[in-house]
Amino acid sequence: MATIDGSSIKKLIVACDAGMGSSVMLAGTLKKQLAKNGVTVEHSSVAEIPKDADLVVTQTSLADRARGVVPDVPVVPFQLFLGDPAVTKVVKAIQSGETIEV
Amino acid sequence: MSDYTPTVTGTGARARVQRFGAFLAGMVMPNLGAFIAFGLITALFLDTGWVNLLAGRVVDSKPVDTLEWTAQIATVIGPLINILIPILIGYTGGRMVHGARGAVVGAVGTVGAMLAPVALGFINQDGGQPYASIAEIPSAILGAFIIGPLTALALKLWDNFIAGKVRGGFEMLVDNFSAGIIGGIGAIVGIYVVGPISYWIAQGLGAAANWLVDLNLLPLVSIVVEPAKVLFLNNAINHGVFTPLGSAETAEIGRSIFFMIESNPGPGLGILTAMLLFGPRAIRPTVPAAMIVHFLGGIHEIYFPYVLMKPVLIVAAIAGGATGVLWESIFRLGLRSPASPGSIISWIVVSPPDQLVLIVIGVLLSAAVSFVVGMLVLGFGRKEAKEGDEVDLEAAKEQTAANKAQSKRPATA
Repeated sequence: MATIDGSSIKKLIVACDAGMGSSVMLAGTLKKQLAKNGVTVEHSSVAEIPKDADLVVTQTSLADRARGVVPDVPVVPFQLFLGDPAVTKVVKAIQSGETIEV
Repeated sequence: MSDYTPTVTGTGARARVQRFGAFLAGMVMPNLGAFIAFGLITALFLDTGWVNLLAGRVVDSKPVDTLEWTAQIATVIGPLINILIPILIGYTGGRMVHGARGAVVGAVGTVGAMLAPVALGFINQDGGQPYASIAEIPSAILGAFIIGPLTALALKLWDNFIAGKVRGGFEMLVDNFSAGIIGGIGAIVGIYVVGPISYWIAQGLGAAANWLVDLNLLPLVSIVVEPAKVLFLNNAINHGVFTPLGSAETAEIGRSIFFMIESNPGPGLGILTAMLLFGPRAIRPTVPAAMIVHFLGGIHEIYFPYVLMKPVLIVAAIAGGATGVLWESIFRLGLRSPASPGSIISWIVVSPPDQLVLIVIGVLLSAAVSFVVGMLVLGFGRKEAKEGDEVDLEAAKEQTAANKAQSKRPATA
């Protein structure tokens, strides 16, 4: 389990299978929540996660593929698209600049 | 929070299938706008479409004295599905393999594959006559899936081989002619190899599917489709399999049941409703927003985690899905174009007017069946209080906090 420093995250990618549906929805929510923290939030398909991402969040079922695409970027899996604790934790860590385990 | 970072499971097969499916779906999904344009124009301006219907030009489901301007607009319907969409898919497939250059040769190759039935004088099964012109060709999406990436791959290999070996000033000459030659070869291979093979595969699949429809056995497909969906193979199945099958059928009869099998928002709605009333108490508060995103926004992914959490719910998904498909095969229902995203709104928009009521009833029926079965397998929620498993309780507090913290609704759907 790696640790990530919330204050060092500048580019957060929300990934889903097609990069058109659920990732767009969650990225929209996170964009609003992280607007003040200078974090770029983008959505993409799992296959096209940009290599320069600092952190990837994706659904548990897609996490394997995400790790395969960007082995050097920490991937935070979540279950629910709305109100998942794993995502909330990432948001809090970024907002407060804390270090979290992923 | 190690509970929430499950160990990596099923690395191999599932990820591989997902990846292959995503490759197929990736060729279709960027072009969904073209499918929707086709669906909208068909629904509105076909001789039995909304405009003629409301103008009283449809009697007993038959067109009578069709408005001239709708007939003029309707001329684009065939070319959109038979010509443009396969080319777009071949183009996109080529782009995925080798960027802009790959896209161009993928499109060129697709034209060959698409025209194989005309060029080789195949017999049109419907009329018993050879395909006479481009207007009659069946929508060759399957062929585009193969020839687009294949031609682009050939160009990519050539480009890699020649890289750094071209004398200065000759790059453009070499680039343009290599693309032209390889694209041209792609078109020829399309006509003689990929086109015929994919044509016969598509005919075979179509015949097999029609056979299932005739025997009312198509609902059995839900046994495969619904579990695959919640494993996030939804796009792969819908756009990799059903969109090509449906497009071939809709080009012939103006609608297809294949667009309804995966995209039916009914089963998900039923499951979410069951979860709202009888699911683990901890997650009930997250359900209402999910219902809106699912049923109206058409993002089915949002209900998959609930099924993965209570895998027994898959029975409810299958029952609801099969109910919908059975209803649709009994009444010979179909949608004009892929309903994507799978929202009830997309469904209504691309429903043939004379079938709209039955189609909506079908969606509600599948929701009702999924709800009832879901309620049963969840044991009416009675077990929840006793079980109260720790993960749920722990998650409960965080989730309630999360819900409050989070903006009330998702931004986009």
